[in-house]
Amino acid sequence: MAAGLRAVRRWGSMAAAAPPRLAFTRSAFVVNKANNAKPNWLGVGLAFSTSAALWAFLIKQHNDDVMEYERRKQARGHSSTKCS
Amino acid sequence: MVFLPDESRSLPPPPLLNKGSVWLGFTGWLSALLDNAFNPRPVLQAGVHRQILFATVGCFVGYQLVKRAEYKHAKVDRELFEYIRHHPVDFHSA
Repeated sequence: MAAGLRAVRRWGSMAAAAPPRLAFTRSAFVVNKANNAKPNWLGVGLAFSTSAALWAFLIKQHNDDVMEYERRKQARGHSSTKCS
Repeated sequence: MVFLPDESRSLPPPPLLNKGSVWLGFTGWLSALLDNAFNPRPVLQAGVHRQILFATVGCFVGYQLVKRAEYKHAKVDRELFEYIRHHPVDFHSA
C-alpha cells in the first residue's frame, strides 16, 4: 500500500509539472445537437412495433376477459338455477 | 398485492375504449405533442411514431386501471350488500 501511495505521489507531481495537453473531461454535458431532418429509423421501427404489440396484447386480453366472463356466467347460471 | 385478483374476471370487462383508456390515451398523445413543442419540431406533423406510441401506452394503462377500479367498486358493493343482508334489523324501511 505504501508503494501504491508513492506511485500516486509520483504521478501527481508529474501531472502538476507537465502543462495540460490532453484534457480528459468527464463532463456529462457533451452532447450532439439532435438532427431532426434524418429519421432515427431504429427508434421509429421500435416505436411502431411496440405500439402494434401493445394493441395486439390489449385486444387479445379484452377478448379473453369477455370469454372468461361469459364462461363464468354460464357456470354460475347452471350451478345456481335449473336450466330453463 | 395483486393488481387484478382472479375474481375480477367474474366481472363484465369494461369496453376497450372506456373513459379511462380514452382519457389516458389522450394525455399520452398530448404529452407527445408537448415533447414536439419543447424541442422545436412541428407540433402535429412530427414524430407520429412517438404520438402513436404514447397514446397506445396511455390506452393500455387506462384500461388496466379501469378494470382495477371496477373490481374495487364491485368488492365494496358486495361487502355492503352482505352487511345489509346480515343486519336486516338496522335496515327495516318504515
